[in-house]
Amino acid sequence: MDLFLQALANGVLIGGILACLTIGFQLTFGVLHVIDFAVGGWVMLGGYAGYWALTLLGLDPFISLPLVAVVFALVGRALGPLIYHVRTSRYARPDLMALALTFGIFIFMRGGALWLWSFNSRNVDTAIAGPAIQLGPVALPVLRVVAFAAAAALSLAVFLFLYRTRFGLAVRAVAQSRENAGLMGVDVPRLSAQVYAVYTGLTAGVGVLLATIYSVNPDVGVRYTLFAFFVAVLAGLGSVGGVLVAGLFLGVVESLVAIYVGISYSHLVIFGALYAVLLISPQGILRRGL
Amino acid sequence: MSESLEVEDLVTGYGKQEIVHGVSLAARPGRITCIFGPNGSGKSTVIKAIAGALPVWSGEIRLADRTLSGRRVHEIVREGVVLMPQGGGVFPRLSVEENLRMGGYSIADRHWVDSRVEALIGEFENLGRRRHVAAGSLSGGEQMMVAIARALVPEPRFVLLDEPSAGLSPAMVHDTIERVRTLRDRGVGVLMVEQNIREALPVADHIYVLAGGRRQFGGSPEQIRDDAQLMSLYMGG
Repeated sequence: MDLFLQALANGVLIGGILACLTIGFQLTFGVLHVIDFAVGGWVMLGGYAGYWALTLLGLDPFISLPLVAVVFALVGRALGPLIYHVRTSRYARPDLMALALTFGIFIFMRGGALWLWSFNSRNVDTAIAGPAIQLGPVALPVLRVVAFAAAAALSLAVFLFLYRTRFGLAVRAVAQSRENAGLMGVDVPRLSAQVYAVYTGLTAGVGVLLATIYSVNPDVGVRYTLFAFFVAVLAGLGSVGGVLVAGLFLGVVESLVAIYVGISYSHLVIFGALYAVLLISPQGILRRGL
Repeated sequence: MSESLEVEDLVTGYGKQEIVHGVSLAARPGRITCIFGPNGSGKSTVIKAIAGALPVWSGEIRLADRTLSGRRVHEIVREGVVLMPQGGGVFPRLSVEENLRMGGYSIADRHWVDSRVEALIGEFENLGRRRHVAAGSLSGGEQMMVAIARALVPEPRFVLLDEPSAGLSPAMVHDTIERVRTLRDRGVGVLMVEQNIREALPVADHIYVLAGGRRQFGGSPEQIRDDAQLMSLYMGG
């Protein structure tokens, strides 16, 4: 029982971060109708950015995180118009073209990281450490608790931005009808690029958090792309609220499988679950869009 | 006359395909101007171009001697011309209040927009009780009311209606056309594209008929009734 509670706690702490990771991905799908294969690539680059900020500038990852987010948001703002252009092009199958583009970006990121930094894993150390917090039989590592709290704060910020600001209102309107939002005077191409910037900034920021927990190497991207896909599909593509539930679910399932079945089975079980969800409820479990 | 919305020799289309080949028309404040015509005649294209949703290839669009052609949607909204999309075009997962707020998106003065939203929610009494309800859960008639209230948020001088009756039940069509009449009574100029001529003709003050992207007729409802050939050609009797 104690082991079960511990697995549950670990799962919730990681699941919260995975949920936050998927929010930006969902926003991008909702507004640009692009499934961004490169989502794990942004996580990986964010992790490296945290590493270099620590190594070169001596910044603790929890301090460099907002900086990394801003820098990557600027990168996303520059890249956003290209993504939008490809996705809305009048040539054949712009949906597939956009998918191919982000897949290419992902391969480019991974190749570039391998070339620049080789395959070695880098640890991103933080000053946040210390004895685990004991909650009855459950031990909560301080770092994971703080990382979870940071992810929760980021998620909350995105929700406030979506539901309390004029810009967020426009984002939701565009997600529901690009054409009608345009008729209200929303500059849809510009807003789409801005949403892409929010996505890349947020995702790279989460990358810093994940790097402090797991370390980072050029290959971690694939894993996080898969996780984001899993959470997004389970939540229903484009649903932002659903990712909280789906992210926690993924974290807990992965943690339970790792403890009771063996870590090598975790992908098998996760994708088995995804397969089952797609068979039973192809719209995802929470169906509601943005 | 100088308060009119005037379109002169408008040429426009989608992508590279020219759909409207030089159309001229005018709408006046406090009047309902209808554009009729068969499918593909370019009537919706004309009002989308007026609203700035499509580029004007050549020709000119003016409102009270100010040029609208070549400007973006939000600028045209600020000049007082609002397009209500086909079927109303409410955002189904935004609340009634949020839908109205979107109507004021182009207006920078947020306090002004807030007061407009409050005023309109008060005025359309059925909306007040439902202000926090998702617009998509309302009935078709209520959604149309949201769409009309939303169009009125920027206090427009002209409202462009793109087939307001499309996809509605016959009873609803009648209701919607009646609401268009209330827009006129407020002094707003209405430029309406409609398929349902039987319902729209009685409320129209002025009529244009388009076919093949060209103007075939412009005149009063009486004139068009007298023109048996035109009636049978373009209006199905």
